[in-house]
Amino acid sequence: MRLRAVEHRHRLAQRLKLTLIRLVSGRRVPDVVKTLLYRPELFGRAMCDWTQAVMRGPSEWSVGERELFAAFTSRLNQCVF
Amino acid sequence: MRDLSGRYAALTQRLVDSVLAAPGHTPSELRRAVLTRAAASLPFSGPHALAPSPSSPPGPLSLRERGNGGEDLPAALVAYLDKVALHAYKVTDEDLATLQRAGNSDDALFELTVSAALGAALGRLERGLAAVRGEEGPR
Repeated sequence: MRLRAVEHRHRLAQRLKLTLIRLVSGRRVPDVVKTLLYRPELFGRAMCDWTQAVMRGPSEWSVGERELFAAFTSRLNQCVF
Repeated sequence: MRDLSGRYAALTQRLVDSVLAAPGHTPSELRRAVLTRAAASLPFSGPHALAPSPSSPPGPLSLRERGNGGEDLPAALVAYLDKVALHAYKVTDEDLATLQRAGNSDDALFELTVSAALGAALGRLERGLAAVRGEEGPR
């Protein structure tokens, strides 16, 4: 994570969530989650709602197919999925 | 954005609105200009290249022209935002460190980075949907 604020300066509610995720998963919290939980009123909240609808909502495509599209797109973007 | 019709229109609009209008460290007009510029950028080259549309040249467009109140952005910041929009994997720690040393706060950089990324995503979505509809270009 290249912006220190997004790495370390979450508000209390989001910091508690991050701590919980870390404790339950036993791993470092992925950067994408830290990004979504940083100032969620600007980005993360609406992004999560959008992602949930697109990736898990009603669709002609199965969840697996949609995940495959996402993985392929990430590959084109040279971004590890 | 131009084409927000379809099943996810309301959610997409809410995402754009929150990124552009949420209180922050940068003016909404600037975030909008960054998003619009990124949406017009054309990513990918090689086998998966998307053909540039003659009606939407990705050429240089000044943020000043896009109505951000006459404010002009430093070249280093514009270069960084273009990098985010076109090939974000090339962003380096040094890119960010340079911008931070120039006085940009983490929150301002966060807002502009998200604006550029969202704009690039919406531009690609729009071109993809246009291709599915059998249109040549994004408009």
